[in-house]
Amino acid sequence: MISADCHDYGFYVLHDGFGNAAVQRRRHHAVSVAKERREAMFRTKRLCTEGFSNDMDVHVAINGDMMIEEEPSVLEAQTSSAVEELKLAIASKGIDTVQKKVNALRELRRLLSRSDFPFVEIALKSGAIPLLSQCLSFGSQDEQLLEAAWCLTNIAAGKPEETKSLVPTLPLLIAHLGDKSSLSVGEQCAWALGNVGGESEELRDLLLSQGALIPLARMMLQDKGTTVITASWALSNLIKGPHSEAATELIKIDGVVDAILHHLKKSDVELATEVAWVVVYLSALSDVAIDVLMKTEIVQVLVDRLAASNTLQSLIPLLRSLGNLMAGDAYTTNILLDPSHETTDSIIRSLSKCLKSEHRFLKKEATWVLSNIAAGSVTHKQLICKSEAVSLLLKLLINSPFDIKKEVAYVLGNSCVAPPKEESGGVPSLLLDHLILFVRNGCLSGFIDLLKSSDLEAARLGLHFIEVVLRGMPNGEGQKLVERADGIDAMERFQFHENDELRMMANLLLDNYFGETYGFDDE
Amino acid sequence: MMMVDNHLQTQTQLQSEFQCWYPVLRRFGPDDPFFASGNIERELLAKQIALELTEEEKQALRNFEDDYREVFCPIVGCEATLRSLTEFEDHYNARHTSSCSVCSRVYPTSRLLSIHVSEAHDSFFQAKAARGYPMYECLVEGCGEKLKSYKSRHQHLMDKHNFPSTYEFFKKTRLSKKGRVKKNQRKQKHMAVDNNEKEKEEEESSGMEVEEETLDGIISGVSKLTTSDSSPSVISFGRRHTRGLTFVPRAVQRDTKK
Repeated sequence: MISADCHDYGFYVLHDGFGNAAVQRRRHHAVSVAKERREAMFRTKRLCTEGFSNDMDVHVAINGDMMIEEEPSVLEAQTSSAVEELKLAIASKGIDTVQKKVNALRELRRLLSRSDFPFVEIALKSGAIPLLSQCLSFGSQDEQLLEAAWCLTNIAAGKPEETKSLVPTLPLLIAHLGDKSSLSVGEQCAWALGNVGGESEELRDLLLSQGALIPLARMMLQDKGTTVITASWALSNLIKGPHSEAATELIKIDGVVDAILHHLKKSDVELATEVAWVVVYLSALSDVAIDVLMKTEIVQVLVDRLAASNTLQSLIPLLRSLGNLMAGDAYTTNILLDPSHETTDSIIRSLSKCLKSEHRFLKKEATWVLSNIAAGSVTHKQLICKSEAVSLLLKLLINSPFDIKKEVAYVLGNSCVAPPKEESGGVPSLLLDHLILFVRNGCLSGFIDLLKSSDLEAARLGLHFIEVVLRGMPNGEGQKLVERADGIDAMERFQFHENDELRMMANLLLDNYFGETYGFDDE
Repeated sequence: MMMVDNHLQTQTQLQSEFQCWYPVLRRFGPDDPFFASGNIERELLAKQIALELTEEEKQALRNFEDDYREVFCPIVGCEATLRSLTEFEDHYNARHTSSCSVCSRVYPTSRLLSIHVSEAHDSFFQAKAARGYPMYECLVEGCGEKLKSYKSRHQHLMDKHNFPSTYEFFKKTRLSKKGRVKKNQRKQKHMAVDNNEKEKEEEESSGMEVEEETLDGIISGVSKLTTSDSSPSVISFGRRHTRGLTFVPRAVQRDTKK
């Protein structure tokens, strides 16, 4: 049965008569597709399945097509014939050339937009790229440009080789980002470029050398619509490094910083999310960017957004931007994050909120941020210890996945040790009331658990903290506490350990605190 | 007093050698594994509508990340590779620790543990040994030799298996003052008051435990050790607060300096 809307499709309905062989073929295909889907999930590239509604004068068909069950082989055949159609349309001359091209492009685009079986490979084999390139020539109709860019977007969303195939079209896509292009066209090109940038460092470098940064950045300066969102996402894929030049260049572009702040203050969740991700990369990669950002009110804006946010989507980059900004610079934590200021209180509250999240990584990253705050001034450490964060952390130390336990260890340890004085260079002094608070609440067993794991970093944390306890707890209580918590046995495991540093630390502690004289000292 | 001074000095020595906790800012690059699960979540959230993932699929994708993390057993000589932290903990507990249920001493193998239990806590064993039966097994697995006393076994280990003379299978525990006081009280109830009680205490922690070499003997033996050995040349099992090390306790070093 052929329905009216799909007359230009020419699809085939599956008959029952195909029998078992067809079912098996489909199942086999479904398994490989499932695997492909799973891998596609982790990629930073995104398939475009819906059109934009930016401009009113460009009629873009929203993907309301029914996903009809079809044999993969049938769809493959359709794909290659769609490319053929396009070739013919391009070669044709006459008044309706443009319409022919647009129709062919649309058909190809629909086939390439299927999230279950996108037939990129067959499209490429049929020679789609040079044809699409031709469709991007300057002066072409907006609808043609849009459909062509859309096809390229979804080709680039596939496997690495498929993304790489876009290379000849890049200068054209970059050109159409310009301010003279319609908003929809510009946005679709940005999406395609975002997919290319997300693929590899090599492609990122290529895009940057071809001048993609400035036009994309300019797209962020707009106010309305989805363009800013797509451009921000594409930028985050473009500047992600691993080297910092692109991030540094981006922050220097006129108007970018103001635009970032402006967008972060808006209530649009999707917008705040993608702009925050740009800040994540800026702050993770470029010290220059951190410098520039810290001269603005960004911390306050991020803190406010974080407090107001209750979607996971936006929480992730907001939290991480703050974390990155604070990790970059002691100056930031100590001075700009004034402990007497309400901002700091607000951050700790928001972080405590994250500690209660069901999402493991959120707890972990929030704890990491706390550990950096705890590495600050004594007042910061006191603020943490007076907040509800402390009781949450102590619970997490006992009862959470291993990676979170490590982060908690950092917070607690950092909170007990005063910031080292520049001049003396000696051993930093201990903040006994914090230490005693933690130990009385049973943290020692958590640290000894870390010591018993096979993770070197965890073991190091355990040994360091045990030393603090042994040194700091008044009246020699440290030794008894460590013994009672099974600390001696745990340390003795390291006597034959292959890691020199840990072996030495353990033996130093055992010798000095549990040597021959242990037990005779108490009078 | 000697002991107090010693304690102070070792404290400062410790501080100069031990890298104490030092609070620093920790920073991670954007693609550091630390951020991996957050990044994955970002992609899942962005794509879930387009791909219509079910909750199970999403969870499976999250778990996929945690799956395989190899752990190598760090104990020198053990070449085990375990597939997760839990497996490692099991391996460690099974292979590298076993503790006596009576006195809590730890032994690295179950065989040594059972030898210890017989020799230290089994009155039947003691009775037979007292009557001259060779009850003390050679500690080297596969040898099979049995000796009539702890000392003669020790000799056998040195002669036949090249054990160092300082090797201690059964090391005395050092009780805290409180423990000694308690024991003292117990002894006063069960045994006649003896002038040499204090000395006896030093030598046996319970009526059934085995005779020991003196502390002096151990000290002189240990001080002869060099620290160039990569493997512990004084191995003592059943250790608690004291253990044989290539690091000599500072207290011992002092006594042997001439």
